[in-house]
Formats: sequence, C-alpha cells, structure tokens
Amino acid sequence: MKLLSITNNLGFYLCETGQYKPVDKITKEDLLRLVNLTLREDIELDAYDENVIKNQAHQIVYKSVFEKLRGLKDRKKEFVDESERLYLKEYEKYREDSKKA
Amino acid sequence: MKKIDLHIHTVPGISDSDFVFCLDAFKRYVSEARLDAVAVTNHNIFDGAQFRTIKETLGIPVFPGMEVDLERGHLLIISDGLKLEDFDSRAKLVSQKIAKIGDTISVEDLKKIFGDLKSYLIIPHYDKEPSITGQTIAKINPYVSAGEVDSAKKFIRAIKDNAKLTPVLFSDIRISNDLVDLPTRQTFIDCGDLTIDAIKSCLRDKAKVSLSEKDGNRLWQIFPDGQKLSTGLNILLGERSTGKTYTLNKISNTVGNVKYIKQFSLVQQDEDAEREFKDDVQRKRSNFVDEYLSGLKNILDSIMPVDLAANDRQVEEYLVTLLKSAEDADRRDAFSKTALFDEVEFPAGQTHTLCELIGSVRQVIENIEYKEIIEKHLVPESLKRLICELIELLWDKALENKKKKFVNELVKDIKRHLNLRTSAVQVKDVDLYKVSMDIKRVERFTEIVNFLKREAVVFEENIQGFRVEAKKEPFAGPGEVKEVSHVRTAFSDAFKKYEDPYKYLRALLSNESLTRSELYKFFVKIGYRILNKDGFEVSGGERSEFRLLQEIMDAQNYDVLLIDEPESSFDNLFLKSDVNQILKEISESMPVVVVTHNSTVGASVGANYLLFASKNQQDGKVVYRIFSGYPTDKNLFSVDGKSISSHGIVMDSLEAGVDAYDSRRQGYEAIKHYK
Repeated sequence: MKLLSITNNLGFYLCETGQYKPVDKITKEDLLRLVNLTLREDIELDAYDENVIKNQAHQIVYKSVFEKLRGLKDRKKEFVDESERLYLKEYEKYREDSKKA
Repeated sequence: MKKIDLHIHTVPGISDSDFVFCLDAFKRYVSEARLDAVAVTNHNIFDGAQFRTIKETLGIPVFPGMEVDLERGHLLIISDGLKLEDFDSRAKLVSQKIAKIGDTISVEDLKKIFGDLKSYLIIPHYDKEPSITGQTIAKINPYVSAGEVDSAKKFIRAIKDNAKLTPVLFSDIRISNDLVDLPTRQTFIDCGDLTIDAIKSCLRDKAKVSLSEKDGNRLWQIFPDGQKLSTGLNILLGERSTGKTYTLNKISNTVGNVKYIKQFSLVQQDEDAEREFKDDVQRKRSNFVDEYLSGLKNILDSIMPVDLAANDRQVEEYLVTLLKSAEDADRRDAFSKTALFDEVEFPAGQTHTLCELIGSVRQVIENIEYKEIIEKHLVPESLKRLICELIELLWDKALENKKKKFVNELVKDIKRHLNLRTSAVQVKDVDLYKVSMDIKRVERFTEIVNFLKREAVVFEENIQGFRVEAKKEPFAGPGEVKEVSHVRTAFSDAFKKYEDPYKYLRALLSNESLTRSELYKFFVKIGYRILNKDGFEVSGGERSEFRLLQEIMDAQNYDVLLIDEPESSFDNLFLKSDVNQILKEISESMPVVVVTHNSTVGASVGANYLLFASKNQQDGKVVYRIFSGYPTDKNLFSVDGKSISSHGIVMDSLEAGVDAYDSRRQGYEAIKHYK
C-alpha cells in the first residue's frame, strides 16, 4: 500500500476514500491515519526528491511527512512495544492466573 | 567452666594496620586472662610456622583457624589441627583468592576449598560488623555452631532470644609488641576436654555458654584485673575523689560504644543551649513534619510548572493572530493555503485515572489482610480478568497518545517550515483545556494552603509524663521563614505575597538560592512545645528532666549506659518516680552503671550489683580499689581479695553514716506523729 506518491511534480497522500489528494490538503487527522497504517500494514512511500516536486509548499509538507513516516516504519516494533511494556509483569501474571479458573 | 578466646590475630592482613607480633605478649595474655584455649585466626592468612611456635610455647590447646572475607561479612573457620599440613594447604588457596583489599570468596568457594565444612568449627560475625546476614547466613547455617558478637549487651540479647544463634564474645585482638591493656572479651563454656568437637557440642547448648565463670550471664568482666559488672543495673558508690568518674571513663574507653551522661550535662545554661534543645526536639521529629507535609509537597510538584502569566500571554497571542489571519484571508499564498498551516495539535490524552484504577484493582487482588471479605463478594479470577482488560485498554490508550504525540511533532515541524516561507500570519496554537485546568489547579492549591495555615495541633507524643506537641500556624514574618530555610537569603519581598499562596510560590521560585524540593517548608510554620503533666510549657528544670529521659531512652542504641550523679541536676521525686523506673527497665536489656550519692537512686532503684570505689593510703602510696558484690551480700570484695561491709558502705555513701540515718529517721517519725 502506497501512502505517499509523487505524480506530475506534485506530492500526494492516500486519503480515506482510497484516492490520492495533494499534500497541501493534508490535516492532522489524515496524518494520524497514515501513522496507523504505517504501524499496521506493509507500506510504501515514494522517496522525496526536491528536483521532482516543483511546488515549494508541497516540498515542505511532503519532505517532512515522508521523513517521519519512513522513520516510524523502521522503528514500528519498538514504537508499539514501548506502550505495551506498561504493567506487563502484572498483566502476564494475572492473565495466567485467570486462565487457571 | 573453661575460658576461651577463638578470635586472635598474630599476622597483619592486607586490610589491617601493620603490627609486629610478640610471642611474649601472647603468653602474658593467656596467663593473666587465665585462658584455657585459644585459636589463631588471621585475615585470610595462615602462617604454619608461626602457628607451630605459638602452639609449642603456650601450653594450652591452640587451634589453627582463619578469619575469611566472605561476600557479605566475615567468618571464622577453625580446625582441630590434627592435620595441620592439610589445613595449611587449603588456607593457602584462600590467600590466593583474596589477594587484594575488596576481594572476597563465596560460600561455594569456601566449600570447594575446605571440603566438608561440618568438620570445622564455623563462627560467622553475627551481631558484629561486618556481619553475615540474609542469604549467606542461610547457606552456611547447617555448619554454624555459634555467632560472634562484640558486646555483653549483644551477648545477652542473643542468649535470651531463642531464634538467635548461641553467641560468643571474643577479643579479636592483635597480639603486638606494644600490647598494653589486655582485652576482657572472652567466653566461658561448660566443657571437659577442649577439643573442637567438644567445643562445638557445648556451643549448640546455650545453657553451657556464659559471660562469667561462676555467675552465669549475670556478670561480665569489664577490666583486665578481673573486675566485673552486672549485665543489668550497677550502682557505683564512693566518697568524693575516690575514682568514680575515673572508673566510668575507663569503662567508656574499654567498651567504646557507650552512652555516657556526664554530671550536670543536662542542666540548661544559656540561650544557645536552649536553642540546641529546641533543635534537638525538632530534629528527632523531622520525619513527622516531612510526612505531614508530604501532601503539600506533591501538590507543589504539580503547581510549580503552572505559569498563569505565560498562559495569559498564549491566549492573547492566539486571539491577536487569529484576528490578523482573518484580516489577511484574501492575501494567502501557496504556503499559507496548505491545510497544515493553521493546524492545531491533538490534545494530550491522560491515562492517569486508568492507571489509578489498575492500581486499585491490583490492591484488591493482592490484599492479604482482608482477603476473606473480598473473596466473599468478588471472584478473584474475574478481578484478574478485569485488571487484564484494563491493562489492555491502557496499552491502547498509551499507543494512541504516542501516535498523537508523533503527529503533533510532525505538524509543528511542517508549520515552522511553512511559516518561514510565507508573509501570512500563522494562528498561534493554544491549549484552552490546559489553560482552564491550570486556573482550577491554582484555585485548589490556594484553598489547600489556606486550610493548612489554620492554627491546630497536628502531632502529640507522650514521653514519661511530658507531652511534645507540634502546632501548625501561619508564619508571622519573613524572619521565621528564613529560620526554617537555613539559607542566607532575604524573604521580605516574597513574604509580602504570603497571603496569596500562588503569588508567594512564584516569588519563591524566582529566588535562585532556594532549592525547589525544600519550598514546601515555607508555607506553614510547625512549632514544637513541650508541656508538663499539667499542660503548661515546661520550666528550665523540667526541660532537663525531659532531656535526661530522652537520653536514657536513646541509650538503646549503645552497648552500655553510664550516668554520673543524676541527682546533681534533679529532685528526689523525679528521680524516684521516673528515672528509677526507666533505669530499671532499660537495664533489663543492657548494662547500666550509675554513680550516685543519693539514697533515692542508690537504695530504691533495686540494683543488680553494687560497686564501691575507695581511696586508701598504703605504705605511703595512694591505692584506689573497687569493692563489688550483689546488694544482698554481707561483704563486698575487691579483685585483690580485700573485703568491706556492705551495710557500712551503703549507710556511709547514701545516708551520711548510721548515726545520721538514725537521727534523720527519728526526725521523720517525730514529724509524722506531731499533732
């Protein structure tokens, strides 16, 4: 699944409907959805290239979103694990105990 | 009874201060202390050649041994010496492993080196530093016959406590060429032939082990000349300048860890002493203050970051930029037209309540005290399922928050870049939830501090008829705050805002010489008063009484309590009603020596042992002697065999002689019958 793509010298992102919208229209809710997809799915991103994207506003938004999502993709296991370490010892202990009943 | 000392050093170890061994000093020690058996136990070293010389010279059983540095604490391992070569070679393995300061060996190493530990006499440091405790003691327990202690008090404590090992008191002495004072720490055992097996068998039975030859554990030797003291309450009598204070000093030097209440030391003399006394009362209860104010401390931690002025500025900025942006709506460029240009961040989600709920459920699951009631109403398994579900929910929320934080950072980053490239005004973000919450926080903080400032007694402690009272009230001025702070800084500017706790806090925070973690002490004053039994603040004399009782109670932490003439500072009623009782109580668990001339103390306290210091001229020389014995003995004896009548010395010392006593008694009788 491709989350970010570059077409006709413009940056696009995958929106909820499955279509691609220009990155200057992206909102924080869209970003959160892309984060979820990155953590859940096997995703693809067109690499940022300032020679290809000509629109300067697109350059700014695309570059930043691309770099962040790529970083997240590389560290997604760590990202999820960190939150699941909370009370993990208790969780495992009580989960085993409650199975005994 | 046989007198043994199985902890003696003859070679300096790597961690010891240097000394030169002297065989003659060893001979003198064995002969003057009348020892029946000794062991040579150097730190992680065994010198076979030296041991043989010692054994041949002393003429009593001498056992080869070693004091080993285990991982935690020291331990004596003593052999029967029948296979000396074998012990020597095993000991060398220990020396190899413990080659520098800080090296130790484990119990497993010890077993590997010495084989079956049951064939040795094993004595760990028990109530003596560095002591072996916890898991290590559990590991060696099957091989241990006794535990070494370092004072008569600890010996008695272990003897009385069935859960404790049989105690042994040994000298731990360095036999050096400059040895002057011989040690008095040895142990008596009821043993026939002194072999290691026989000693081990004796040590397993506490009834066969004691501090003195004839008096069991009632007496213990204090001075090398054979002078003994009771392990309970000793009264030391004698005329002026007969060496009573000298004797107390000598006991103090011999024992080391003593509580010594010197004559007149408790009488208040000046303002400094008064302040010191107050500080002392306060310091001993500082834990209480910390605990009482711990709530305020927590609140302060969450209030300190709240900056209402900065919040106001943020709201202001938000409004200004919002209006400006509306005005400029027509003039937007490609950068300011992006959706993220005016995007606000996701608010930070809180998991605090959920974490608390998980903590509470865990408490219900793990509570033991009320387990029965809990299980009557709730099924443990369903509670466990509940907690698992809550934890899963927490994970989801935590992950969600993390994602939002991630997106917020991304949005912030993009907005910054866009802003650099456009002339349009970016609307400044503001978290109105946080702004409102901060206002509520400050309101609640103000309320709490104002409650705290109301006058009230928050702590009371009764000590032997006195009452220590802690009272909270507002500080009266900046000087009082300064006194609490112990910091050289002015509080006068901050104190102008004392009425408004939040403003006062901001003023304190702006003072860089104050530590943030200490600020909780500057909101309310906690003052102490000591009240007598009638509820009035104590007088100077009563203060001294209070201090004496405190000092005596503090003696629990020492090996011996020494008191020099308590009557010099106190009246008879106080001595009889309070001091005598508390002395009697404390002497149940530790040796106490009281020097007195006063019949209220001397005759009424119910001493376990009587000592009488005397000074005589003999062949033109002054000779000091101590006569001692039980209070019921007809005569008291000195260590050189002289005796004196008990009745005579009690009358002379406490009642100024028989005649004076009789005449006083007749006088009292006459008053009693006067009509």
